[in-house]
Amino acid sequence: MTRPVHPGSAYQPTQLLWPMMWLVLLVVVVLVIPHAQGLFQWLAPEAREVIYQRAAFTQLLGRHLLVVGAAALMTITLGVLAGVVVTRQWGRDFLPLVAQVASLGQTFPPVAVLALAVPALGFGTVPIIVALVLYGLLPIVRNTIAGLKGVDPAVVSAAYGMGMTPGQILRQVELPLAAPVILAGIRTSVTINIATAALGATVGASNLGDPIIAGIVNANNAYIVQGAMVIALLAVSVDSMFEVFQRRLRSRTP
Amino acid sequence: MIELRDVSKFFDQTPAVEALTLSIPKGKFCALVGTSGCGKSTTLRMINRLLTHTRGQIELDGQSIDAYDPVLLRRRIGYVIQNTGLFPHWNVARNIGLVPRLLKWPTAQVNQRVEELMALLGLPVNEFAHKYPHQLSGGQAQRVGVARALAADPDILLMDEPFGALDPITREKLQEMLMQLQARLHKTIVFVTHDMDEALRLADKLVVMRDGRIVQQGTPLSLLQKPSDAFVDSLLGGLERGLKQASLTRVKDHMVPPGAHLAAPRVTTEQTLRQALSLMLRDQCERLTVVDPQDEPVGELSLDRLVKEAFHPKERPRDD
Ligand SMILES: Nc1ncnc2c1ncn2[C@@H]1O[C@H](COP(=O)(O)OP(=O)(O)OP(=O)(O)O)[C@@H](O)[C@H]1O
Ligand SMILES: [Mg+2]
Repeated sequence: MTRPVHPGSAYQPTQLLWPMMWLVLLVVVVLVIPHAQGLFQWLAPEAREVIYQRAAFTQLLGRHLLVVGAAALMTITLGVLAGVVVTRQWGRDFLPLVAQVASLGQTFPPVAVLALAVPALGFGTVPIIVALVLYGLLPIVRNTIAGLKGVDPAVVSAAYGMGMTPGQILRQVELPLAAPVILAGIRTSVTINIATAALGATVGASNLGDPIIAGIVNANNAYIVQGAMVIALLAVSVDSMFEVFQRRLRSRTP
Repeated sequence: MIELRDVSKFFDQTPAVEALTLSIPKGKFCALVGTSGCGKSTTLRMINRLLTHTRGQIELDGQSIDAYDPVLLRRRIGYVIQNTGLFPHWNVARNIGLVPRLLKWPTAQVNQRVEELMALLGLPVNEFAHKYPHQLSGGQAQRVGVARALAADPDILLMDEPFGALDPITREKLQEMLMQLQARLHKTIVFVTHDMDEALRLADKLVVMRDGRIVQQGTPLSLLQKPSDAFVDSLLGGLERGLKQASLTRVKDHMVPPGAHLAAPRVTTEQTLRQALSLMLRDQCERLTVVDPQDEPVGELSLDRLVKEAFHPKERPRDD
């Protein structure tokens, strides 16, 4: 059998254009900042030093990504798992509980989580990861539930009728069909947490939040702009990568 | 062979099906009809254990269905539903190959079976194998649904209003297709429909249900001739019953050898008495010449004979 390509899934290199552009811009900015003395001097004319020097931006970026990535991995695992459990027949009773815990996680300010977590977990990356997981759970749980509930019951019923096991139905039918909605939740969660992770700097988790905090402490606007710029570019890059991924998924599931 | 003995199904305290006793011999086509909510789908779904019956016995080939693992049981029973229930994210070939893959057939065998079924259902492989359900017309999608149900060659086929959402012409085509399939495959089929003409046309056995109970069962002709009560009578078409019956009988069963001179309007041996009658009405005549498919005159049919004998048919039209 020849295999004509499904029209929607055709590979379109132009889709990758935006994430590529943002990514290139991010790299350029990270590399250029240390040499852009003149520009930043103008932003903070009073300051003696205008380029954040305590760590290289590449290093800060790496650490930032690591924290956000670790948190995302945990949030996705936990969030999708919780969403799956409460949409099973046997887990339906936990639906209100899980929904409440998830929304509580998001309404509870991450700063407060950090403040409470530090005495228990000490300074460093662990408390910020905890805060990010709590903060990012809601969009993923909510979208997983919505995505799974949105699967056509006739399709699920047919799947049972064909003799699929519940596990097979979840993996081969429900999750793939809910994937675009779940991915949208993951996108929101990760993008928000890229910005939120900057708070880690206040509890000794060195990342792109460091220049911002240092900027606030020393009243140095140049530092703040440097940190904020890199964080924003990182968020936009990641977000536009999700966009591409999402569009591809959607074209597969009409 | 499907046997239901005194089967009831309660949802909470409300009965959906009550004391249902029904036997469907191997290779027969049984149609379930009745008003909405009378328990037809429930009956079907108890047979493949999508629902568990509350009371009674359900047996397949003498073996209680409780003895089977429900998942394995369902892989042995074809199931077709109204809106196909095709997986929207799988292409046609993958949808059709589902049950063979669940049964762990080797890939080559699955592919071969898929192509075989697509040919059987008139879906050219090159054109359709890689289409997705949303790229199909209703009729095509339903063919895929039937192919999927037949994929692992089950003995039993459960069909819940499979053609209910199709336009009349497509529906008739698929009925024709199903009749031809059944003539070759001899599946035991339980078929739910709201379309009485469809039920009469396809069924060996017709079961009329009301409020979860069977009101009457028998061959389509026996029900048309002797509806047990006013409900069955009206469901079967009331005053139109005569025409429905005429449409179950073919001209060849009632013609007599051709007379001296041939009358003008012609019917073929395969047409129904209903069509013959319509022709007489249209052309205002009382005598038709019957021709074989090669257009050779082989007999004649008079209005008088049609009227007197239509209700004493010699055999069912479906002599496959
Ligand atoms: N899962 C369920 N829970 C509760 N009640 C149900 C359930 N499924 C069906 N019923 C009830 O059982 C009765 C029979 O339903 P069923 O679906 O078998 O009817 P039907 O004959 O197939 O109707 P239709 O022709 O409209 O498809 C109805 O009163 C329905 O409301
Ligand atoms: Mg029904």
